[in-house]
Amino acid sequence: MNNAQAREVIFQVLGEIAPEVDPSTVDDTIDLTEQLDLDSMDYLNWMLGINAATGIDIPQRDVSQFLTIDGAVGYLVSHSEGQG
Amino acid sequence: MIDFLLPSLGADMDRAKLVLWLVAPGDEVHKGQIIAEVETDKATLEVECWNDGVIDELVLAPGPERLPVGTLLARIRPLNGAVVTPAKPEPEPARPEVRPAVPPAPEHREPAPPIRHLAHQLGVDLARVTATGEDGLITREDVQRAAADMAPAGAASAARPRAGAPAGREKRVSPRARALADGLGVDLGSVVGTGPDGLVVARDVEVAAEAGPPVSEAPSAIPAPGVEEPEDKHEAMRRAIARSMSRSKREIPHYYLATHVDLFRAMTWLDERNEDRPITGRVLPAVLLLKATALALRETPDLNGHYLDDRFQPSGAIHLGVAVSLREGGLVAPAIHDADQLDLDEMMAQLRDLVNRARSWRLRSSEMSDPTITVTNLGDRGVETAFPVIIPPQVAIVGFGKVVDMAVVVDGQAVVHPVVHATLAGDHRVTDGHRGGLFLDALDRLLQEPDSL
Repeated sequence: MNNAQAREVIFQVLGEIAPEVDPSTVDDTIDLTEQLDLDSMDYLNWMLGINAATGIDIPQRDVSQFLTIDGAVGYLVSHSEGQG
Repeated sequence: MIDFLLPSLGADMDRAKLVLWLVAPGDEVHKGQIIAEVETDKATLEVECWNDGVIDELVLAPGPERLPVGTLLARIRPLNGAVVTPAKPEPEPARPEVRPAVPPAPEHREPAPPIRHLAHQLGVDLARVTATGEDGLITREDVQRAAADMAPAGAASAARPRAGAPAGREKRVSPRARALADGLGVDLGSVVGTGPDGLVVARDVEVAAEAGPPVSEAPSAIPAPGVEEPEDKHEAMRRAIARSMSRSKREIPHYYLATHVDLFRAMTWLDERNEDRPITGRVLPAVLLLKATALALRETPDLNGHYLDDRFQPSGAIHLGVAVSLREGGLVAPAIHDADQLDLDEMMAQLRDLVNRARSWRLRSSEMSDPTITVTNLGDRGVETAFPVIIPPQVAIVGFGKVVDMAVVVDGQAVVHPVVHATLAGDHRVTDGHRGGLFLDALDRLLQEPDSL
């Protein structure tokens, strides 16, 4: 999975949780929960959606890497290597 | 033949449009099956069937009319040999019997809240109703029969709530005052009664009419039956919230209590539990708070139930309403049924399902109709303390703020621990601060023993 593919998945799932969000306005470096008013259930649903779409598990200790779009993209790219 | 009626849809949601039938005449249906969809001010709800049987007749077709609770929707023919149970919405058909926290009275069993609600709407005194259900239980039919007996000859169908301003049904109003209020367009809910025992008399209505509509409440929020009113569902929801909260602030003498709960043990325990699991098995901290609330309510059952007919009616089951805010604004508080009996994984699954369906406007009628207490968790949005407003006819609401790191003293040493502010708003007609304090104590104690949750 490359950066563009990871971004696509991330925003696709985000669009299901926060349909009113315009991806072009999202700052890739700022805490998503604050930026988009996501509560803990939204946030978990987002990660669950990414997990379902990619098969990549996001264990508790790695959750902090999903606080920003940049962090999430980096995580997915690095964890998809070797998976095909 | 069993009458399938529009069930109670929760506080201040006494009308709904029939949107869709999911069954046809001749279809076999089962208890708990979703057979219709209705739309209220707050949500589209899936309506469950309460009996096994065969659909004999769909009495009403989907349409724009806003039907009152209790409207006959369909007739169901019981299956051969099937025991006809009263048309009593039982929230969790699949669940084993709920251990009642309060033993039923020996001779006269307490009817379910929806039945009491119906009786209240129809102006029926339950003490005078002849019960025909099992074990002397008052059924919906009994209430309707009693209402029909009361109604003057030529009155509208017994199944329909009494005509008149729905907002005014909670108070006693003289017939003349009611007619006058209808004529003048006065919302009876906002009229202060000066007659005997607070009875609203014609003079009160005249005074209210001169004063004009109160600013805190939309006048005549519920249009007359049959009047289609195109409206935005968010506006409708705002009005439904306004009605419910105005009623609460008008009728319920609230008291408020707050305490800190040290969550060090609970959060450490939960982190360890989540550590070894895939993301699909993760449990959110809110689930611990909900479970602890449900268990604490077993110890303080007088916070769990409804205030109807001028008295508290405790609930044996703990149906925890969960306030879910919607992204577009507004909120709903559907129930997690028998919350005290769920393990943490079950509760997490139900909470997630409930929040997702609430946000896509797909709740079930039973979830909206029977919460016995509500929990609001504003912690996610950074608020440290919530002072919530009780949702009538419930008698308490629990609030949780954000989990924050705070200096606390443990064994004489100041240490930094995660802490949550827990608050309780209670109904002074039912409990006092002492009782509420015992609940918060129990909540704190349970959260110090996360293994027991």
